[in-house]
Amino acid sequence: MVVPLALLGVWFAVSAGGAISISILPPPQRVATAAWEFFFGDSRVTLPGVVPFVGSGGLHIGASVVRCLVSFALAIVVGVIVGLGLGLSRWVSDLLDPLVNALRAVPLYAWLPIALVWFGIGETAARVLIFIGALWPVLIATADGVGRVPRGHIETARMLGTPGRRLWRRVYLPSALPEIVTGLRLSLTLAWMCVIVGELTGTTTGVGAMMNAARESGRIDQIVVGMLVFAVIGLIADLLLRMIARPFIRWSQT
Amino acid sequence: MGTAALRASGVRKSFGTVHVLGGIDVTVVPGETYALLGPSGCGKSTLLRIMAGFAEADAGTVEIDGKPVSGPSPQRGMVAQAGGLFPWLSLRDNLAFGPRETGRLSGSAIDAEVTELMVRTGLDGFGDALPRTLSGGMRQRAAIAQVLANRPPVLLLDEPFGALDAQTRLRMHEWLRELLAEQPTTTMLVTHDVDEALLLGDRLGLMSARPAKVVEETVIPFGADRGRHTLADPEFVALKSRVLERVLTG
Repeated sequence: MVVPLALLGVWFAVSAGGAISISILPPPQRVATAAWEFFFGDSRVTLPGVVPFVGSGGLHIGASVVRCLVSFALAIVVGVIVGLGLGLSRWVSDLLDPLVNALRAVPLYAWLPIALVWFGIGETAARVLIFIGALWPVLIATADGVGRVPRGHIETARMLGTPGRRLWRRVYLPSALPEIVTGLRLSLTLAWMCVIVGELTGTTTGVGAMMNAARESGRIDQIVVGMLVFAVIGLIADLLLRMIARPFIRWSQT
Repeated sequence: MGTAALRASGVRKSFGTVHVLGGIDVTVVPGETYALLGPSGCGKSTLLRIMAGFAEADAGTVEIDGKPVSGPSPQRGMVAQAGGLFPWLSLRDNLAFGPRETGRLSGSAIDAEVTELMVRTGLDGFGDALPRTLSGGMRQRAAIAQVLANRPPVLLLDEPFGALDAQTRLRMHEWLRELLAEQPTTTMLVTHDVDEALLLGDRLGLMSARPAKVVEETVIPFGADRGRHTLADPEFVALKSRVLERVLTG
């Protein structure tokens, strides 16, 4: 907590000294007021297509979280299945590995125009972008983890009666779980980071949409509120994921 | 369940230009513990892996009760120096792994058998422990118990106590003798430790250097009541000295 508090102190000092224009970096108290308005201000009816700010914190956060979780869940399913395939099958690896390595090198922003063309402005494009951003870490971690399962574990399972078709469930998946969880943590962080890119596609709800609207109206304080919301929720999400995963990977922790 | 005859005939194996096994012939009668002793790197572990079905011989055959070995099977349990416990499973789940996978027993019967096996192996009270929290000796006992839970007719031990300190190893020898007396199992023990071979084996086979062959077989004359006291027995000391000389001179 020392570093964040020190940074807050520097922020206060710089703002109070007037060294930086209020339109570039608003003082902490102004951001605090904007945050209060965001969560507890009187919500008002807005025009269709206009992103509300006041009193809409829960709405925006809820929309972003749902968007993130749906895409993240899909990324887990696809990432683990393809990762298992890459790690377990030479044939699948020969077929897909070059494609996976090429696609994951494409920056997320490069997917933005094509997502808009293919899926139009709004929800689907946003979810697809978040899915793409979240997919690679879990996929690569699963493939790597499965590839590193000690041969002794596989031989022991075969000797104890596990047929080949059940090895992935009995040995590969549990043995690779620590690596997969590391990939999931990275994927979740990236999914959450990609929410803002996804919400640039014209969604009317979500923290990213709110920040984009704030940028258009020059409200730096609201943008900073959005950044803080992203940081806090990202932190909470990572803590939750670690808590959920801990019982399954405690065997690998020293 | 029960025991089985294990027979290797003319087993040869090479890795590239290195001829490791040069025609191994060995027969282990049902219920017997056969200790195979040889210099480091002579191919003892390779032979055991072929017997377990983890590797294929270039020539020759391995048979259990006259049936050729092809691939690993719950009928042949193998324990290596590093043990085979799954680190993500509790001790109880590790011991229950084989019976669950083979479907040999139902749920409650597995629980009962695992509990009984834990008592017999001195591991009761540790059912919920993860392997990494156990001592080296307990881990090796658990690895042997994990394999015995399937009641294999043949047990293959590849220097199972090689990583343990001398005192623990001696205690493990006494424990294993008692266990095999309670659950007779045809056992092939591969080791480079002469004491271990003489304390555990009913018969001793000596392997030559590469390309390895079994060059001598000896009936170990000590009775069932072997333990730390046997180490000081003049007959044991004399046999150990002779065996050691034979191993060192190839």
